[in-house]
Amino acid sequence: MSTLLQDIEAQIAGVKTAVSRQNVGSVREIGDGVAKIEGLTDAMLNEMLDFGNGVTGLALNLEETEVGAIILGEYSGVKEGQEVRTTGRLLQVPVGKGLLGRVVNTLGQPVDGKGPIKNETTYPVEKIAPGIIKRKSVTQPVQTGIMAIDAMIPIGRGQRELIIGDRSTGKTTIGIDTIISNARLNKAAEAAGDKAFRPLYSVYVGVGQKQSNIARVINVLEEAGAMPYTIVVAASASDSATNQYLAPFSGCAMGEWFMDNGMDALIIYDDLSKHAVAYRQVSLVLKRPSGREAYPGDVFYLHSRLLERSARLGEKYGDGSLTALPIIETQLGDVSAYIPTNVISITDGQIYLETDLFYQGVRPAISVGLSVSRVGSAAQIKAMKQVAGRIKLDLAQFRELAAFAQFGSDLDAATQAKIERGKRIVEVFKQPQYNPITVEAQAAVLWAAQNGHMDDVAVEKIKDCQNKLTEFLTTRKSELMAKLAMEKALSDALTAELKSAVTEFKQNYK
Amino acid sequence: MTVARARHYSGGRTRPLQMKISKQARRDAKQLFRACSVNGLLEDNRVRQVVQLVIGQKPRGYISILTHFQRLVKLDLERRTAKIESALELPENLRAGVQANLARKYGPGLAVSFSQNADLIGGLRVQVGSDVYDGSIRARLAELADGFQAI
Repeated sequence: MSTLLQDIEAQIAGVKTAVSRQNVGSVREIGDGVAKIEGLTDAMLNEMLDFGNGVTGLALNLEETEVGAIILGEYSGVKEGQEVRTTGRLLQVPVGKGLLGRVVNTLGQPVDGKGPIKNETTYPVEKIAPGIIKRKSVTQPVQTGIMAIDAMIPIGRGQRELIIGDRSTGKTTIGIDTIISNARLNKAAEAAGDKAFRPLYSVYVGVGQKQSNIARVINVLEEAGAMPYTIVVAASASDSATNQYLAPFSGCAMGEWFMDNGMDALIIYDDLSKHAVAYRQVSLVLKRPSGREAYPGDVFYLHSRLLERSARLGEKYGDGSLTALPIIETQLGDVSAYIPTNVISITDGQIYLETDLFYQGVRPAISVGLSVSRVGSAAQIKAMKQVAGRIKLDLAQFRELAAFAQFGSDLDAATQAKIERGKRIVEVFKQPQYNPITVEAQAAVLWAAQNGHMDDVAVEKIKDCQNKLTEFLTTRKSELMAKLAMEKALSDALTAELKSAVTEFKQNYK
Repeated sequence: MTVARARHYSGGRTRPLQMKISKQARRDAKQLFRACSVNGLLEDNRVRQVVQLVIGQKPRGYISILTHFQRLVKLDLERRTAKIESALELPENLRAGVQANLARKYGPGLAVSFSQNADLIGGLRVQVGSDVYDGSIRARLAELADGFQAI
């Protein structure tokens, strides 16, 4: 009886709505998606503001007499004198596995017409990066499936590797290839029932891109079967500058959820140059003081706080990771511009793509001399280290010798051999787009090239030889490849087996 | 207020453009504003005196200074004004009670104004500066409507 009464009392108490204090203000000025609001004395930085009729804003400038807020979404309905309320909430986006396979906007709302997203959790868009104690150094590799990268500029889980280059040099392709490669690995491990395998989920953030470009990326991912492991956050060129500015942070929050829950995720910011431009626009309309190239003073902090959120967490903290591949577009190869130098200094290395190489047919057009990975070598598998340890140096020497050899034809045999080997390695590293190669196939091919098994093949036939060798190894010598994938190192026995396999192949190759 | 009016197309109506007020003018206005307050409260006589003095002496950029000064005074007055709206006229004892409660919460010097607004349907709506205590039936109905929309 008494519990019944208590239940009723509790229900009545729930129905009673106490008068709560609200903080309101009124719009003084509105334009370019930015509102100046008088009042709102209790507004917090980055707090969501309710403009009524479903319009929300974000308080970015807290001034003495007014609040500067950016409006998320459609702002044409907001009028001067309109009442604005604080909400006490920070901007949040839905996170979780329910987002995989979906295309969402900056606020995490679906834009792919596949119905509502099932999620139970939300994460704040702006979050403090994991601290020093929580972090661990990079030890596990991210297999990009691109031979030149996996061999010479290896990327580890939790690393931030910048992809930088001029327009149309294949920057996005590297990101997409990595997503596809990892989706294939995830799928293969799922099919094999490998419990020890740690799947890598991907988040692709398109900032200021053409809608057609984003549609093409989605199409490629769908065709390659990578969408079930990928979230696409789209803030296209037609979205407001506010949405473009917030999109990478939203994507990062979605990636962080995987990291916090002991999983691995990869995030591609395509691209941060346009993100900086969007932030410049927002800052200028908010009348913040401008600095170099009219970017606001905190444009460095904008990117550093975003990229610092990528980390590898220690076992105590779930052992998750978030790997970031930010993309920067340079103008005429100028890496010393403001935004490129900022992002280069924040990241753990860069992959530099050159227009000249691209038009020479070296694709991916990775400049070996300028590209570097500062922490990734610790994550490289042993077999790859064994075969690719000296390759970067060999290629650098080849470039120097090739330039030198242009002036004279009389060269000693050793130099000639180095040049010939270099030419073949350059050919081996050429790879068509959306066609990632497994790490064991990469190691086997590189071993063959490094040990002179391809020296007698004509340079123009190297690609053909490589493809046929890969096919031979994966079909006829699948046991050897499985062993190599399992052991992840080239032991003496395995090397001997590989040698006999390559010799067998060479006997029949024409 | 002396503001430059310009015709510019915005939703088909003409609206005033804000005058550009220099940093120096803002600083001066702020200083004058501070000089007008005694123990944190603005004194009306001092404000009037200041305006007359500035108009009389006409210092450099005095119109900008006065425009900003006026804005600061307006915001201060709003902060110190309590607007109490009710659907029906409040009895005297209730008015006194509300006034006393507000004085206790916001300190002395609060100008209280009572008004009637039939749209509230019932209950009270109190606004002090940017704080709003909305206990009206209209607000509760709106809250209920929001709750249904969320479901």
